[in-house]
Amino acid sequence: MKFLERRPAPNAWIGGLIVGSLLLVAGVGAFWTPYDPLALNFTAQLAPPDAVYWLGTDEFGRDVLSRLMAGATTSAWISLLSVGCAVLVGTTLGVLTGYLRGAVDRVVMAFNDALMAFPGILLALGLMAVLGANRYGIIGALAVAYTPSVTRVVRGSVLSLREREFIDASRVMGNSGLFTMWRHVLPNCVAPLTVLATSMFGWALLAESALSFLGLGVPPPAPTWGNMLAASRSHFDEAVWLGIFPGICISLTLLGINLLGDALRDRFDPRMRGLR
Amino acid sequence: MLGFIVKRLLMAVPTLLIVAVSVFVLVRLVPGDPASLLLGDMATPSALADLQRRLGLDRSLPAQFGIWFGHVLQGDLGQSITSQQPVLPLVWDRFLVSGRLVVVAVFLAVLVAVPAGMVAAWRQNSLADLVLVGTSTLLLSIPTFWLGLLILLLFGLKLGWLPVVGHVSFAQSPGHALMYMIMPVLTLFLHEIGVVMRMARASTLEVLRLDYITHARAKGLSEREVMWRHAFRNSFGPTWTLIGLVLGNLLGGIAVVETVFSIPGLGRLLVDSIFGRDYPVIQGCLLFVAFVYVVVNLVVDLLYPLFDPRVTAS
Amino acid sequence: MSRAILLPLGAALAVIGAGPAAAQTVNVAINADIRSINPGVNRDDYTDSVVLHIVEGLVALRENGSIGPLLAEKVALSPDGLTYTFSLRRNAKFHNGAPLTAADVLWSWNRYMDPKTDWRCLSEFDGRGGLKVEAVTAPDAHTVVMRINKPNALFLDSLARTDCAMAGVLHKTSVNPDGSFKSPVGTGPFKLGEWKRGEYVTLTRFDGYVSPPGSSPDGYTGAKRPLVEAVKFIVIPDPATTKAALLSGAVDTAEVQATDLLEMQRSPKVEVKTTTTANKHVFLFQTRDPLMGNAKLRQAIAASLDMRQIVGNVSRGLARPNASVIHLTSAYYDDAQRQGYTYDPAAAKRLLSEAGYKGEKIKLITNKRSGRPSFDMALIAQQMMQAVGLNVDIEVLEWGTQIDRYNKGNYQMMAFSYSARLDPALSYEQIAGPKDTQPRKVWENPEALKLIDKASATSNVAERGKIFDELHKRFMADVPMIMVFNSVDVNAQQKRLQGFTPWVASKPRLWEVRVAK
Repeated sequence: MKFLERRPAPNAWIGGLIVGSLLLVAGVGAFWTPYDPLALNFTAQLAPPDAVYWLGTDEFGRDVLSRLMAGATTSAWISLLSVGCAVLVGTTLGVLTGYLRGAVDRVVMAFNDALMAFPGILLALGLMAVLGANRYGIIGALAVAYTPSVTRVVRGSVLSLREREFIDASRVMGNSGLFTMWRHVLPNCVAPLTVLATSMFGWALLAESALSFLGLGVPPPAPTWGNMLAASRSHFDEAVWLGIFPGICISLTLLGINLLGDALRDRFDPRMRGLR
Repeated sequence: MLGFIVKRLLMAVPTLLIVAVSVFVLVRLVPGDPASLLLGDMATPSALADLQRRLGLDRSLPAQFGIWFGHVLQGDLGQSITSQQPVLPLVWDRFLVSGRLVVVAVFLAVLVAVPAGMVAAWRQNSLADLVLVGTSTLLLSIPTFWLGLLILLLFGLKLGWLPVVGHVSFAQSPGHALMYMIMPVLTLFLHEIGVVMRMARASTLEVLRLDYITHARAKGLSEREVMWRHAFRNSFGPTWTLIGLVLGNLLGGIAVVETVFSIPGLGRLLVDSIFGRDYPVIQGCLLFVAFVYVVVNLVVDLLYPLFDPRVTAS
Repeated sequence: MSRAILLPLGAALAVIGAGPAAAQTVNVAINADIRSINPGVNRDDYTDSVVLHIVEGLVALRENGSIGPLLAEKVALSPDGLTYTFSLRRNAKFHNGAPLTAADVLWSWNRYMDPKTDWRCLSEFDGRGGLKVEAVTAPDAHTVVMRINKPNALFLDSLARTDCAMAGVLHKTSVNPDGSFKSPVGTGPFKLGEWKRGEYVTLTRFDGYVSPPGSSPDGYTGAKRPLVEAVKFIVIPDPATTKAALLSGAVDTAEVQATDLLEMQRSPKVEVKTTTTANKHVFLFQTRDPLMGNAKLRQAIAASLDMRQIVGNVSRGLARPNASVIHLTSAYYDDAQRQGYTYDPAAAKRLLSEAGYKGEKIKLITNKRSGRPSFDMALIAQQMMQAVGLNVDIEVLEWGTQIDRYNKGNYQMMAFSYSARLDPALSYEQIAGPKDTQPRKVWENPEALKLIDKASATSNVAERGKIFDELHKRFMADVPMIMVFNSVDVNAQQKRLQGFTPWVASKPRLWEVRVAK
């Protein structure tokens, strides 16, 4: 296939490396951390980074490094699931509206646009207050917040594809509409969808952090990078490390995702090909 | 032109209607109601019932919606349950506070990022380009609330140059007000540079490889003239659209910056009213934001032809 | 011309920083804007703090929690316990100069009892709470007579409730001709000055104020002379900003967090006073829950908690454990109330096996409201409970949701905070009652309820003391909830502020206070 013929750009290398590391840490964090991220330890409260606690401890004596690792797992999990749901639902809706058009299209898109008129965080706030302030609530809220973008992109692809000859050819051959969509339309949506999904993974991570920061995210004591940042505010004076490390993690991860997304976009966007 | 505006506004009506109904229902699905929050642990069943009756919460949902929406159509967004202030002036005042920060930050960001993006595109793949792209990607990867915290830590606490929290209205003292605005604006500014620069660069790149640019160069125009007279005007379009999106999104995302700097803006109002189950304020806020979003996008679309003559307003 | 824009510190500092307005203005920091200037309607603690400088009731809370005379200099109770005769003070005046008469008290009371006024305490006095004020009359200009339906030793306590604004007597001119509220014209030492929403509330001295007898303040009665020209309550939502304002002298007094205690003490201009309050921080159990209904399980939990560790940690060493719902500084707090829980993990494990506990999950609900110890309490308790083999999950809810669950009784175990009730019977009544009609109640032991009724019916101190001792014994045996501690207020004030004393009801009193040069 064409895209394997060219070597991946530096973007992709760095981005891929970072994201890969995150997923690795998240995977490891699910099974092992240096210390129990939830264990309270009153003999070592607010300890600065040293040989024992590499990144220091928080106000309850919990090891920051362990919490960051556990947080990576949670954040990665939440982002993957919410993006996954959004992609699933959004693709279905996009293909349906793009292919069927008519009243179905108009109604669904009206709701879609209404959803998009809500800035993401506000929507998530509202939904989470209903669904519950826990990881499943966030996943649901973020999935709902991102579905409209996926729907739009997929629908756009479908709209431009359905006029192409190979679709007609497929129908003339006797394939049903459903089969045609599956075999011919969907694969051509993959490219823009991948780019979007990569970006959304980053948005989800950021949104989860922001929500936790506002107090509506994954509730403590379970660590997420966002709620660790939020908790660090009350100890700014005495324990600056509590605020530095979670922030670095989020920024680094987002950087990796953005670089990767850029590389993917460059790869898939035919208009950019000639410029590399 | 007028017809276009009217048509667009009318098209926004179903959207706003859906927003109004969804917000109304959503907010009442949340467990806990304003009456129990106001009474706290002193809520005897009778006191609770009294208060709920006074707040109109004992009526059926459709009836409550009808009453609320009826008022909305007359321009009355109701009264805050917590502070008993009328909602519209409250939301408006807070909007001015947030809006001031957002507009200044985005304006400054555009001033810096668009030329930077164009330079990056012009000198594509050079060291300058790499540095610019790297910086912009980095900047947009840093979450605004962390950036805000770091700025607060540095300028507010460690260096003590700027006040740590708060907000002064311009009516009170413009000098003071500006001082309080510096850190939050700086935070937003740094983040938006990243976003805008990348878009400016990408669209400039696209324009630069078009035939008429080659033609202009062939005619003997200097690079600077090529960039300014042809490239800029034609590439600004997508960036302009992005600015519209950014403005709209910032109104939502600004809640975190307002929390970090303790600014009484629209984002904080929304978050606080959600926590306080202040239904009229939540509803008023969200409706207002959706409306602003529609207006901003409309203005962006209206001004688009200024930048891209191929696109006409209709 | 732009409207007043809401703000936290900024404008506050700008306004204060514009020079000390009158040298005789005391600046007090409050965390949130007051809700209303209409006494007893739409209130919260800050609102009460301010409003109770403006209005006064017939009777008021004393420093030790008992009830003393305020506008009424004498109260006589008929032998059948149904008729209260209040003899009004002769020299009390309203802010508009009019003398206080019984007709005014009548008018004010009838206004409170009118449902259109939306008085928060209406249901306490109209019969729906059991107590009904059947008739209020004014036989002469200085006597008010109230007749109630059943003998109730807590009637005066209810009248003096701060969340009812003490049923503060208002003058007719407080309302507009159409009945809507205008401005509170009361009898208190201060008049309402200016309320700039979201920024501050100023009160000015009422020069015609005649103080009740006494040499020093005694709760909401005693000496109440306004010695400063004005008091300004400034809205500062952020604790860090409050701290900064105190240290810079912009604010004269404010409540600070326990974590700021050391820094405050280091400042030469500021002194810090700590006061034990009557707020209760507790763990609630739902005794109707299939799992938590097991008394031995609850006793096991009580034995698994090291109270001194928990309290020392969450209050930064300022507070002491208290296992009784009667607050530490109450006149009724004696050796019987000092009986607490014994920390004994071995006994806890034994009780668990006796209870037949098989590792079922227990959900401990808490919240992350700032300034409340609920989250920290829950976290530490979880660890201690897990150490004896209990399977505990913490569920952090947002406060609105938690209050909803509390009101419906929908929980297994909860970290919660109760507002202060100075009278022990009222404190018990907060937590005890029939769950069928009031699902938010925690303790429904019928004997206990009978005892509480008895304590509410008699005013005999010795008799009540015995009842409370008995109640506490039952409370410890039943373990319907675990009372952990009474919070300690940390109040920082400028040394130049003289005469300011924080007290158990937490609300600042700015009378008998002066600013030294």
